[in-house]
Amino acid sequence: MTATFPKHIPAEGYIPPSRQQEPPRKSYKYIGQNLKRVEDPRLLTGNGQYIDDIVLPNMAHAAVLRSDRAHARIKRIDTSKAKALAGVYLVLTGAEAKEMTGATAQFASPPVVQYCLAVDRVRHVGEAVAAVVAENRYVAEDACDLIEVEYQDLPVVVDPEAAMTSSGDAVLHPERGPNNIAQHRTFTFGPVQEDFAKADVVVKRTLRWGRSGAQPLETVGCIAAYEPGSGKFTMHTNSSFLNYVGWLVGASLGVPASKLNLIPCVTGGSFGSKLFTHKVMTLAGTLARAAGRPVKYLEDRLDNITSCDNHGSDRLYRCELALKRDGTMQSLRFQVIDDYGAYFQFGVGTHGNSLCQIVGPYRINSIQMELIAVLTNKCQQGAYRGFGSEVTNWMLERMADAAADELKMDPIELRRRNLIQPGQFPYVIPSGNLYDSGNYPAVLEEALRIAELPKWNKIRDEARAKGRCVGIGIATCQERSVFSATEFWSLNGTENPGFTLTSSPESTQIRIDPTGAIHVTLGSPFWGNSPETMAVQIVAEQFQVDPSQVNIVYADTQSGFNSTGPGGSRFTVMIAGAIVGAAKQVKDKLLRVSGHMMEADVGDLEFRAGKIGVKGVPGKEKTIGEVALFAHYFRLNLPAGDAFASGLDANYVYDHPLTTMPAADRSHLGIFYPIMGHMCHLALVEVDPKTGKVAILDYVAVHDAGTVVNPMTLAGHIRGGTAQGIGTALYEKFHYDETGQLVTGTFADYLIPTLAEMPPAIRVGHVETPSPFTEYGIKGGGEGGRMGAPGALSRAIEDALSQYGVRCDELPLTPRKVRELVRAGEKR
Amino acid sequence: MALIPISLKVNGTRFERAVEPRRLLSDFLREDLGLKATHVGCEHGVCGTCTVLMDGEAVRSCLSFAVQADGCEVRTADGLAQGGKLSALQQAFWEKHGLQCGFCTPGMLMVATELLERNAKPTKAEIEEAVSSNLCRCTGYYNIVESVQRAAELMQEGAK
Amino acid sequence: MKPAPFEYVRPGSLAEALDALARHAPAGRILAGGQSLVPMMNLRLVKPAVLIDINRVPGLADIRVDGGELVIGALARHAALLASELVAKHCPLMVEAYRCVAHGPIRNRGTLGGNISHADPASEMPAVLAACDAKIGVRSAKRARTIPATEFFTGPLTTALAEGEMVTEIRIPTAKPGQGAAWQEAANRQGDFAMAGVAAIVTVAGGKCTHASVAVAGMERPGVRLPAVEKKLVGTTLDDAAITAAASMASEAVRPSGSYHADPIYKRELAETLTARALAAARERAR
Repeated sequence: MTATFPKHIPAEGYIPPSRQQEPPRKSYKYIGQNLKRVEDPRLLTGNGQYIDDIVLPNMAHAAVLRSDRAHARIKRIDTSKAKALAGVYLVLTGAEAKEMTGATAQFASPPVVQYCLAVDRVRHVGEAVAAVVAENRYVAEDACDLIEVEYQDLPVVVDPEAAMTSSGDAVLHPERGPNNIAQHRTFTFGPVQEDFAKADVVVKRTLRWGRSGAQPLETVGCIAAYEPGSGKFTMHTNSSFLNYVGWLVGASLGVPASKLNLIPCVTGGSFGSKLFTHKVMTLAGTLARAAGRPVKYLEDRLDNITSCDNHGSDRLYRCELALKRDGTMQSLRFQVIDDYGAYFQFGVGTHGNSLCQIVGPYRINSIQMELIAVLTNKCQQGAYRGFGSEVTNWMLERMADAAADELKMDPIELRRRNLIQPGQFPYVIPSGNLYDSGNYPAVLEEALRIAELPKWNKIRDEARAKGRCVGIGIATCQERSVFSATEFWSLNGTENPGFTLTSSPESTQIRIDPTGAIHVTLGSPFWGNSPETMAVQIVAEQFQVDPSQVNIVYADTQSGFNSTGPGGSRFTVMIAGAIVGAAKQVKDKLLRVSGHMMEADVGDLEFRAGKIGVKGVPGKEKTIGEVALFAHYFRLNLPAGDAFASGLDANYVYDHPLTTMPAADRSHLGIFYPIMGHMCHLALVEVDPKTGKVAILDYVAVHDAGTVVNPMTLAGHIRGGTAQGIGTALYEKFHYDETGQLVTGTFADYLIPTLAEMPPAIRVGHVETPSPFTEYGIKGGGEGGRMGAPGALSRAIEDALSQYGVRCDELPLTPRKVRELVRAGEKR
Repeated sequence: MALIPISLKVNGTRFERAVEPRRLLSDFLREDLGLKATHVGCEHGVCGTCTVLMDGEAVRSCLSFAVQADGCEVRTADGLAQGGKLSALQQAFWEKHGLQCGFCTPGMLMVATELLERNAKPTKAEIEEAVSSNLCRCTGYYNIVESVQRAAELMQEGAK
Repeated sequence: MKPAPFEYVRPGSLAEALDALARHAPAGRILAGGQSLVPMMNLRLVKPAVLIDINRVPGLADIRVDGGELVIGALARHAALLASELVAKHCPLMVEAYRCVAHGPIRNRGTLGGNISHADPASEMPAVLAACDAKIGVRSAKRARTIPATEFFTGPLTTALAEGEMVTEIRIPTAKPGQGAAWQEAANRQGDFAMAGVAAIVTVAGGKCTHASVAVAGMERPGVRLPAVEKKLVGTTLDDAAITAAASMASEAVRPSGSYHADPIYKRELAETLTARALAAARERAR
């Protein structure tokens, strides 16, 4: 394979060799099948054991008093009336909690200090001010009502551009500097100036991506219990990253992680927002220790919507795209101001993430990003399906459409001209990340085939002839998968370089019991996807056994291994790696044992349909159960030595398949997110120009997530992700007014699409370009549709309203917003 | 506040309890009766995860007080599977991948139960209207509609 | 999100309910369907000391025709009204508007009496009842009286109900031959409260509009009629020009409140667009 490199990156030794053990095959027995999910029966019957289903003896319930001010000093808190209420065990203010528990964990460097309860100042509406533990949630809320807080209001900062020049009391964290800029740095990858100088056309746009968030239907919760004497905490949690988060919570609680056992629960959706639920866990632990009994703290919807610490990106872009007259893209430079809200837990990780696919699927030679991260009086940002890359996807697609308009080219044709070609992989982009493989033209052509574009064109043209506003939009986007942690620190200032190379491992244990059943232990929890089904299909493939033979077990952190958790579309790839590694050890032993049992050479044996047999000799075989029984209980019949020790089990830690360090001077960021999926979304919409209402008439989404383990569940992600993308594009916004009040603070105003807002169908296609670096060539596909829908919809609406000359450069495109665009067009 | 005695049937079993007037039906079912299938998503009536049947009608249990269910017959998703077997509706959701995280699922099952009891052969539009009353954040809804369609088929086959 | 404590009263008759209301005034609040009240209680935006649950009061949910009036008991559920053949026949406007009201499980519980007593300006039914010249029957322990719908709604979330009074029935003149009515609404999502909604009723005789009624939802207060617009329509042939002129006047006549989802300029535009569409549809139905 001949790799493609930009000139500023030294090719020699840049790409480590592949560690792939299981090359992709033409066909499989279990991988690629639409296996019914093994998770479903207990979820369908109410036996899911979500966090709120768990009841511990003597358990008390917590509620949190939240600030109704956007920015204020806490002058005084009087909890005496609350403490006197019957059924109240404990009332804790921020200042009191700080005596027992340290700051909450974070990745920002230098840090922005934050506690689980605000100490002397509140910085956004909904910030926790005090907590109550009571016999039930009703009484806890009654007690919250009785807490008196005296505030001194401070100037409120809502506008991200104004935040750049804030001064005095309007500075949220004065210890960090004289204004509300949290980080300001310019990154240049490749010869940007030269490329712009040589360009024929420079297209400029200002783009605004509104703040939305995951809002899973289950909120974040934790049940903490503390054992005095031993000093041990046990926590039931719906965090998706429990192996990571234990360290962080332990540090805040002042105990080593070994004193915390985190027990995973079935999680009612995350979409990134439950990766780190450390603030809720830290609070629950603090309260349990202080109250002397187990405490359940489960956010209600108001808690979650105002203070989940996981609002999504909130960005203003000023972009310039340099092109040749023929439409080929040369260079992209942009300033991005990102409104991170009141705190900065992940630093600018969302931009580290964006940079892994910053040229999209296009051959762009150089990139310059001026990043200005600002702090305002809003809930802080966290993770939401895409983690910042969905925003750059939209930005790139907006710029591609703008270029097509400026050059009077068909947007599809412009994209075709710029797509990286199948023969150019592996392809290193200017930021240093690698695109492992892909066939972008094939995805585009498949999408156009499914949509039957000529039919769409006819529908559009006929509607327009009748005066209706119908339009078509396209997006051709990247879908990076398998994150390594580099993105969280590579953009830090050089004085705070962060870490050395991180492996972000995932582990499993495979154990075959004496009856031949295969038990697979996952170190990561169920977070709403299909981890069990993925593991079952891959294990079934490895051992050639029926999926019903495979049982999935979730480990708590005390018994589990080195695992990272689901996030950044990594789990299926990573667990496949761990399973392949562990299965190899178990299979080797099965072969050794069965070889002895059948007096055959190990090299002559094969796995076939639940059995191990001698190649070419039908009938000469043993079932896995027969071998397992022998291996467990008749070991003394086997040769001496550890190779034949009793039992059949193996642990395996799989490390990130391909990641390298950034350049010290950050002229490139290394390979940090290389398992690259791709998608093409096509939307056909009709807009009512009088009301601004958008109806999606048809929708096509074709994704390439490499080898597909289960097409049905992958299609589920694509459709569900697209639904969230529709929400982000057209309906959802956390809107803060000029006083810092969140005016869309309930589900009556924060508008999650219902079925009625969806297109009649989302027609899904799969293209499979296996990765040369992962087991079986699997790529991640979890973030899927949300990364493509906003671009396709923005263009479709723009196209529908072409007679008004509108530009859809701000999301969400609510009816009011669309009407504003049309109104401006009517006046022109 | 004084407790009020209530007597009601839930999933066929009679319960007699005393409740505070303000106790929401959702909390009563989950905490007092330990029936965990009914989930709580927003507590202001929008998301529909807490939907149960009260005397055969789908209602938001977060917008009803337990005292109001006095003398009523309440059904929840806990009671759908009978004799250790998934109901046709549950089977259909499984077959058609009508759920991902499963949190909205009990509400969807109860909305679908109401629909199918009133109308054994609903049109796609009727199913879509019923499904559109609840939020799902995972699936994009299409598979839920297909699940209900499939359930109607299975129930027709079962009735033959 | 749990409600504050309250005392619960469950009267078994209207007389008991009115007694309870008198006894607990002003702390007592009627609990009907609860689909607006309970969310506000869960959010602790309201903390009534006493809830008077009228759901078991017999005879309050009837739907019947009495002379020239469709009579709807205050406790009639939205779902029952949406499905009612009597309503479909005598007030098709209500059915059309109900298709925009919330979703099945909310409509199963919510009541017309509760809806109008709550008096949300963005709600559909106040506009429908105002357009229909409905009368609201209210009672207290001491007296019964009838309030025209156009006078019932006094402001956002406020009504002409006096202390101790509750809505018992809604009387709507039945639709007459030559009459056409239509509901038009703009909402963000299906079932959401209206950003703007327009109810239009026109009567056509001899090719001329003899009566017009236009009411809007989503504006500053609920149940607002637009008499100037109506006046402009009467005597015209309801041709496109007349409708355009009336709709244009509607955008001037409304008094929109602003919110994130819809600012006043947008609401005025919606009032114009929806008035035109509602009138055009009503005109077709009047034929």
